Amino acid sequence: MSSDPVARLRVVATGLRAAMYAEERIDLPYDRVWGIAADLERELPHLVPFLREFRVPPGDSDRKAALAVGTLGVRETFEVRLAPGWCLMQSRLVVGGMAAVAEDGGTRFAVLAATRPAILQPVQWMYGGLLGERRSRAFIRTIAQRAALR
Amino acid sequence: MGDSTGDGTNDEEPWDAAAALVRAAQDGDALAMDDLLALVTPYVTRLCRPIAPVDWADAVQESLLAVFRGLRGLRDPQAFYGWVRTVTVREAVRQARRTEVEQAADPDDVARLAGLLSDDGGELSAQVRDVLSRLPVQHRAVLVLRELEGLDERSAAELLQVAPGTVKSRLHRARSSFRKAWSR
Repeated sequence: MSSDPVARLRVVATGLRAAMYAEERIDLPYDRVWGIAADLERELPHLVPFLREFRVPPGDSDRKAALAVGTLGVRETFEVRLAPGWCLMQSRLVVGGMAAVAEDGGTRFAVLAATRPAILQPVQWMYGGLLGERRSRAFIRTIAQRAALR
Repeated sequence: MGDSTGDGTNDEEPWDAAAALVRAAQDGDALAMDDLLALVTPYVTRLCRPIAPVDWADAVQESLLAVFRGLRGLRDPQAFYGWVRTVTVREAVRQARRTEVEQAADPDDVARLAGLLSDDGGELSAQVRDVLSRLPVQHRAVLVLRELEGLDERSAAELLQVAPGTVKSRLHRARSSFRKAWSR
């Protein structure tokens, strides 16, 4: 297995033809950045638009259940895999992922979002072309801001 | 995860597990894709190291990207293993060609080329490593496919997109270079 979770997430993003994928360097230590990213229940609603709550048991897990509640009250169950520098979350409809690796005193951080059903693929391509890049960079900036504040 | 059959088919358990993961991954199951990636990475690494000894890490990443980019188009999940081998060897050859100065392969990887190196085993002399490093990348690819993967000439030729006679002559020359160095 590649020891670099960011390189690994790039492969998964390619396999999923993810609409949203970006990686950037954050000038903060890995522990601080991943401390934010891995704190899903507390931090994810600050990072993902239209997400009001994300209920998930704390700690690393190969597979654990989570419940996402949208701002309009829509509920969606997720499966979550969480390990140091590695997070994958998927529901019936969408996949989200984050990866981080220490890099020269800072952190290389990557994020992905993809749709699952084949019927949504055209939406994914359109969204990816129009908004994916900007949205994913905004996600990473917010992670950096929240890590700097903590 | 080598195999001993001439056509390169493999009935080892991890590859049986792969078929189910391939189907799930093709349906967009990211966790299955992650499991498949964990399963296939050591195999891809083992193929890439002797073929692209300098840039093997890049060759592994490029191979994995190519495998997962093409995954949805793979019609028969049972063919996953052979398909990964084809994609990986081609990517590793491409990557190795980008490197102007070729360097020696890792002795541990070379030592697995059992047919050539079964005489003594153990550490390779610097001389043998030098000989290996001077082999053209296509010769190293032939060595890997024939000696490490156990493919017959026809299958190796198909994979490398050359005539079977070319595989035969490359293998002959590679073995001959190797044996001369080994016996010094």
